[in-house]
Amino acid sequence: MKNWIPAATGLVAGALAATVFFADFSSGPSGSATNENANKTNAEKVYVPYGEHDDYYMLSSGGHSGQLFVYGVPSMRKLRTVPVFTPDPATGYGFDDATKKMLGGFTWGDFHHPAISETDAEYDGKFVFANDVANNRIAAVDLKTFHTADIMSMPNMGGPHAGTFVTQNTEYIVMPTRFSRPLGGDYASLDQFEEKYKGIVSMVKFDQETKKFDLGYQIMLPPWSYDLSDAGKKVSGDWIVMTTYNTEFATTNLEINASQNDRDYIVLLNWKELEKKVADGQYEEINGAKVIDPTKVKGSIYAIPVAKSPHGVDFTPDGTRFIASGKLAPLMTVFSFEKAMEAVKNEDFTDEKFGIPVLPYDKVMEREVDPPGALGPLHTQYDDKGNAYNTMFISSEVIKWKIDTGEIIDRTPIHYSPGHSSAAEGDTASPDGNWLVSLNKIAKDAFLSVGPSHPESMELIDISNDKMELVYTNPVDPEPHYAQIIKADKIKTIPIYEKDEKRPNSVWSQEDTRIERKGNEVHVYGIAMRSKFIFDAKSKRPDELTVKQGDKVFIHLTNIDLDQDITHGFGIMDYNLNYEVQPGQTNTLEFTADKAGTFPIYCTNFCSALHQEMSGYLLVEPK
Amino acid sequence: MSKKLSIGSMLSLIIAAALLVTSMFFPWWGMKFYAPQYPEGLDIIVYPYTLAGDIDIVNGLNHYIGMTEFSNESFPELPYMKYLVIGLAFIILLIGLLRRKKLLYVGIGLFTIGGILGIYDMKRWLKKFGTELDPKAPIELDPFVPPIIGENTIANFVTNSYFTTGAFILGAAFICTLIPLWLERKK
Repeated sequence: MKNWIPAATGLVAGALAATVFFADFSSGPSGSATNENANKTNAEKVYVPYGEHDDYYMLSSGGHSGQLFVYGVPSMRKLRTVPVFTPDPATGYGFDDATKKMLGGFTWGDFHHPAISETDAEYDGKFVFANDVANNRIAAVDLKTFHTADIMSMPNMGGPHAGTFVTQNTEYIVMPTRFSRPLGGDYASLDQFEEKYKGIVSMVKFDQETKKFDLGYQIMLPPWSYDLSDAGKKVSGDWIVMTTYNTEFATTNLEINASQNDRDYIVLLNWKELEKKVADGQYEEINGAKVIDPTKVKGSIYAIPVAKSPHGVDFTPDGTRFIASGKLAPLMTVFSFEKAMEAVKNEDFTDEKFGIPVLPYDKVMEREVDPPGALGPLHTQYDDKGNAYNTMFISSEVIKWKIDTGEIIDRTPIHYSPGHSSAAEGDTASPDGNWLVSLNKIAKDAFLSVGPSHPESMELIDISNDKMELVYTNPVDPEPHYAQIIKADKIKTIPIYEKDEKRPNSVWSQEDTRIERKGNEVHVYGIAMRSKFIFDAKSKRPDELTVKQGDKVFIHLTNIDLDQDITHGFGIMDYNLNYEVQPGQTNTLEFTADKAGTFPIYCTNFCSALHQEMSGYLLVEPK
Repeated sequence: MSKKLSIGSMLSLIIAAALLVTSMFFPWWGMKFYAPQYPEGLDIIVYPYTLAGDIDIVNGLNHYIGMTEFSNESFPELPYMKYLVIGLAFIILLIGLLRRKKLLYVGIGLFTIGGILGIYDMKRWLKKFGTELDPKAPIELDPFVPPIIGENTIANFVTNSYFTTGAFILGAAFICTLIPLWLERKK
């Protein structure tokens, strides 16, 4: 009966010993996840030590550089410049065959507004779309590789400034024109502006499998200028809103003449309704585009008067309201989508312009917010607590206010003249409410001087508390307009291009390398590997390429180093040619060997040890 | 007249045979390479019938020191290993089923010889790859022999060689082959 005593004592002693040896005596969770920034200094908030990564990517437009700038937030470190509309010798973009064709001879673009692809009104991190205001193009950057996947030209447009905005499931990328223009860019005297000039909205589709654009349809609008737009969310998901200016139809000195009317318009468009009608064949084919006149489709277009020359118009995260920024009228106007729909239902129209029913401002407007002394509101972003953030270009500040009441919560000075701002996941259905980056036009005295023209600047603002806190300022090349900030884990990049033996023109082993001549065309099927080029493994000098003057040369090069970051470049001296092959990639360089002589070839992208030795010769025999 | 092996011994031998076959589905041996620019490490993983891991990358790096490229083709014994292991498993299974003690010694002998030959073979290859370096290689290195188990330093790389899952299963199979010796010991 007393047997249990030693057994029990043993068990107790064992448990005790285990507790002593293995127990965790630290004071429980540190709570760092709950309010990470609460006790940090500003310097600590932006410091991301080696071995850790930023929480967010910021995809920023590069303006007239035609590039995409990729930043990390909160460190504000620039991660990469991605060429989109502009050739880039550093990556061979616009030099190799595929990207050269894609650029179509253009050497610049003007990229204003990035739009990350969305699913259920949330960024899905698959693609980012870009507008070229200068040359009427749209581009898609694949976020698996951060390479531009496709570029498409859009006919009938006058600069898609009011894009790029995606509908909530990326059904369409909305690209409204800035300048009105005769269709097809035809000649027409400016005296015929009202009759001959048109404002066009391109509704672009993108196939995520083939990575190709397709112009869905175009909407023909009055010759107003369209400034910015946004697609609705949830209840307003079928609708697009756009701001207009120059409803005066000024054809000269727009600064003065397009600023005369006290009211311009916000245009509301039902893209779903129009899509149906286009599918039913209710369109006119103009210069290869299916163009629909919305005034002929009842219920598809309305206008709402809005304070003078507005810039941004942005749907709230829940999609029930949209907020216009006055620009020339120093106020933000909150419109109710539901009230607009009610006016539509009751056919409560005050007027008609170009066949577009005009909704009553007083009934659709919910609130005007006019912070004292605030001038030049441009653009609205949101947090997760029902607040809106507006950049004020002229009074150089960001204003935080409550959407429900219009109450001003805080104001913070900006250095200087902010255009757009971007909040973390700030134009999705669920903003994160921790960071806001103000994209500023003027830096002036903020940094060491680099001459008369200064860099632009970005300012990081902590918005996690009622009071905003300006945390960090950094310089940036010209010129970000809008940016989007997406959670880092939503973007899934590939480490290398997969080996694909069926890929056209690819070669994966030294024995298969060869040079083939077809008439005056010379095709090189070569490989780049550390640390050599092999054009023909069987020849006396595998890295020598001899052609005749006037030959058309195609260098198909595959990088067979399937090792992350081992990128090889390929430059030809005096031929103004350079391109690259990333690990596992095949790229073709095409040129005419019109200069006779001896031209060294070398690896331009520092690949690995003995990169300096990675070279060869192009010999062009004179005619 | 040899004694019959007990049921326990029979089971132990059947398990040994099963473990032998199982071991082929797991890597037997591996070498992990670390360098400043490869903090995540590069792997050579050896199954009895194939190599796996970052073979191409390791070959790419090894060319700097003039090491011969390795692949499945460079090890002529690899295609036969499968049959050798299955053969040994079959023999041990047969011994278990026949339950003859004399044959048990033969099985243990074969297993032991196989193991010793295997280790000798590995040592031979390691020596060959580490010492027969191309004299024309851009980076000249003193010949070296990486150990079968443990750490070694070659240029900027620290290598770690180790036996892994498959080898442990193999060890367990060997123990199972030995258990009958203990079970059948003279009382």
